[in-house]
Amino acid sequence: MVVYSSVRKAYKKRVAVTDFSLSVSAPIFGFLGANGAGKTTIMKMTVGLLAPTSGTIMIDGQPSSAPVSKNKIGFMPETPYFYETFTGMEFMKFCGELYGRRGSAFNSFAGGLLKKVGIYGARDYQIRTYSKGMRQRLGFAQALVNDPEYLFLDEPLDGLDPVGRREMKDVMRDLRRDGKKIFLNTHILYDVEEMCEELGVLHRGRLLYAGSVKEFCAGKSLEERFVEVVGASGSQEL
Amino acid sequence: MHTVLVIAKNTFKLEIRNKILYAILGFGVLYAVVMLFLSDLVLQELPMVKSFGLLGIYFFNVIVALFLGTTSFHKDIERKIVYFILAKPVSRAQFVIGKFTGLCLVLLSSSVMLGAVYCGVIAYAHGGFDAMGLLAIAMQFLEMALFLAFAIFVTTFSSSLLSIVYTSAVFFAGHIVSSILVDAKAIGIGGFKLLAVEAMYYVLPNLEKFNIRDFAVHPVATPFTFFFMALCYAAAYIALLLFAAIWIFEKKEL
Repeated sequence: MVVYSSVRKAYKKRVAVTDFSLSVSAPIFGFLGANGAGKTTIMKMTVGLLAPTSGTIMIDGQPSSAPVSKNKIGFMPETPYFYETFTGMEFMKFCGELYGRRGSAFNSFAGGLLKKVGIYGARDYQIRTYSKGMRQRLGFAQALVNDPEYLFLDEPLDGLDPVGRREMKDVMRDLRRDGKKIFLNTHILYDVEEMCEELGVLHRGRLLYAGSVKEFCAGKSLEERFVEVVGASGSQEL
Repeated sequence: MHTVLVIAKNTFKLEIRNKILYAILGFGVLYAVVMLFLSDLVLQELPMVKSFGLLGIYFFNVIVALFLGTTSFHKDIERKIVYFILAKPVSRAQFVIGKFTGLCLVLLSSSVMLGAVYCGVIAYAHGGFDAMGLLAIAMQFLEMALFLAFAIFVTTFSSSLLSIVYTSAVFFAGHIVSSILVDAKAIGIGGFKLLAVEAMYYVLPNLEKFNIRDFAVHPVATPFTFFFMALCYAAAYIALLLFAAIWIFEKKEL
């Protein structure tokens, strides 16, 4: 379980996230919010790239930045960049080595991940030759090299064509079936509606709602409810 | 330690592929041709050939160190590649040390390759093995490692362009600071001015400690303690610079 307790993040005078408390155990949890709502900041704090100004983030009872927690998580950043002269497979091996995973067994495992995300055929091409969609897929695959329990995906479907989006969603469903917990950052309402059991609605760094998607919608469309909830809190400046 | 080595290995692989290898090989061929030409031209002037040879390696490696030190680490942050790395069980200290070690390996490869060309040309044109020349190249490598650590340190808090400016300035200052102190004492300045010069002397790296090219070119005995002290100085200074770089990087918002 991932537990956020009174998390606050400020960059000098600008407050990005405030009073953020949440416990997540749903198989797929979606963070929903407009651009700049604080979704990426929360995800970066969760995976240890940023330190909260105050508050704590715990994964299975351990601080999220502790090595024991980092071994349990996989992270795909928004718009991933890579070492351009590495091949896709070399990058996977590099990521695997950072977890101490190597050898022929790992190479087969990494090959399987590239197959899963649909870029196995390009595994020996340099990443600089990859399209944006292929980079997204590689970004997704590298997040799985340690067979993580928790997967944090920041806008994972950006830059993918409709077929790619469908394929990636299928991969996420497979991962859910395997017992993985997925945290999905997105501003695309349809993705949350389709994929997530629970969601958190963020607006200007505040958590406006956390709970089941069905309860949130209460018979209305997600878009309608999102606009209602965000609109009602629009005057709350940080 | 394992993580540091993984980052070092992949940094080395990355930089070698980023055309640095071609630059080293290209320079190596040009260097060999010029050295052979110079050897033919001034057959009796072995010191001139040696001096040119050692300086050639030195300046080439200064450019490589400046380029690598101010771009490699910075690119990883600017292009957010660190997101992949630091979200894994990798500390920022391991990342900084791994990058430094990988870049040092590139410089070591360059020094070894060009050193082999140097020794080959000296042996071919004049006979004999130039052990002092090799030692001078090893000392130059120590200086470059320190220079590289300084560049990485500066890159943790400034842009790539400013890092080039600061690192170049320190390179020049590091070579003249000991002479300035000697001159300042010789002309008898005192008070605050002398304090300022002394502060510069102790804070800035004294890169002349690694310059034994004159000893290598002219047959002058160099005491072992000179090498030992230079090695200790480089190790201490590099450790301090990396410690400072890690301290700043730990506080950096990514």
